[in-house]
Amino acid sequence: MSKVLEIKALEAGYGPLRVLHGIDLSVEPGERVGILGLNGHGKTTMLRAIVDLVDWKQGDILFEGESIMRQPTHVLARRGIVLLPQGDALFPGLSVKDNLDAGAYPSGQWKKRQQRRDYVCEIFPRLGERLDQIVGTLSGGERRMCSIGRGLMSEARLYLVDEPSLGLGPGIAKGICETLLTLDLQGGALLIAEQNRALIEGKIDRALRMHGGELTPVTGEDGDH
Amino acid sequence: MTGVIVTTVNLTAIYALVALGISLTWAGLGFLNLSAGVMYAASAYGAWLVSTNITSNVVVVLLGGIVVGAAFGALICLTVFLPLDGKPNWELRTLTATLALSFIATNLYLWKFGPQFKQFEPLFGWIPQLRLGDTLVKSSVTGTLIATAIVVTIVLVYIGTSRIGLGVRALTQSVEGASLVGIDRRTTAFAILGVSGAFIGLAAVLLGQTFFVEPNSGYVPLIKGLIVALLGGLGSLRGAVIAAFMVALTEALTLQYFGGAWTLVTLFILISVVLIIRPRGVAGVLETTRA
Repeated sequence: MSKVLEIKALEAGYGPLRVLHGIDLSVEPGERVGILGLNGHGKTTMLRAIVDLVDWKQGDILFEGESIMRQPTHVLARRGIVLLPQGDALFPGLSVKDNLDAGAYPSGQWKKRQQRRDYVCEIFPRLGERLDQIVGTLSGGERRMCSIGRGLMSEARLYLVDEPSLGLGPGIAKGICETLLTLDLQGGALLIAEQNRALIEGKIDRALRMHGGELTPVTGEDGDH
Repeated sequence: MTGVIVTTVNLTAIYALVALGISLTWAGLGFLNLSAGVMYAASAYGAWLVSTNITSNVVVVLLGGIVVGAAFGALICLTVFLPLDGKPNWELRTLTATLALSFIATNLYLWKFGPQFKQFEPLFGWIPQLRLGDTLVKSSVTGTLIATAIVVTIVLVYIGTSRIGLGVRALTQSVEGASLVGIDRRTTAFAILGVSGAFIGLAAVLLGQTFFVEPNSGYVPLIKGLIVALLGGLGSLRGAVIAAFMVALTEALTLQYFGGAWTLVTLFILISVVLIIRPRGVAGVLETTRA
């Protein structure tokens, strides 16, 4: 079985700014990988580079054995790479139901949307109670649930989760991380960037640290939070 | 007073159609379509050709205008949106391109159809005139309202329930969010411009019942549509409908009490007042519009 994700000597950035200075990473099927590190060191940029949301990138990114360097975001989404971004990127004027259904937009998934929506509402019963509510009127925690729920609406091969705890109270943050890290990946993989190491510790297969645009393995007594 | 109401409702329908066409394109794709006027004229000519050469059946003629409008939308997608999408100076270049398309199209109409005025056969003659109090409601007014209601309902249901419709609505809310769930902005652009064109095409056939068709006949609807769309808060569909009503009511009242010569004056007073109080238009505060 080929690797789900393989990143080779990836450099990426915005305008003249180079954020990633040559990243190498490979992720096996079924693996949950945590990316630790402080703000501003490139965690978000790495995840966004994978789905082509940076200004420029060079090196190579392989998804299930095939280079995806030249594929646009929407094509990658259809192939099963789901980014749960910082700031949620929801559709604020649409209802919770429409936001969730949008997650099943790829044509193969659209027919299963009802079934997937039930599944998401089982994970987040709060969303089930608020299907007709406009997303812009939800609380921060509910919006995060909606954003993650939207990501779970399609059968993804690779989840890229960017700081799921950001801006949330400790209780909700813990619950959301736990939900994400106990998902049945069905041979896919999950990459989670998180500043708060305690939230994901013990639930991931291995952790790496992003520092100054470079990835290094995390050893036991690493000085991170 | 009944007369004012009838005129208001009639004009609201037509202005709302044009403004919805302009506003939807802005909300979904982020450019101001200055070729909405020639889109209008193309639809009017299309419907006129259908009614003089094929049949004067009302449904066929209306569909003729709608289809030509939607096809013109696809043309704008091919010649303006796709080549310029993602390029620097997007706002300015799309304005220039749609303006250029307007000049080219106007001259093509002049070359092909000549400067003469074309007149439609009345489409709604079969609808009996209604008497509301002391006002006679012309069949064309009743027909306009019925046709607008039917077409707008069909489009709203389509946008509200279909997969492509969800793509359109998602795009008006967040471009990045849309791409993250697999919505292709470039394919959805055809749907957005097609629907915009269909609205404007319908408006063209309906107004063609009252006004002649000639190469420049799209410019006044373009300006009115832009005014209504801006007044409503560019990008807001609800705002466009509310603003269409405000403009229509102002025009109807002016016609009734001051005479036709004053409509532009009162219209500009209305715009000034509204934009001084709410610089982002009627719905600019209710909904987030694209900056």
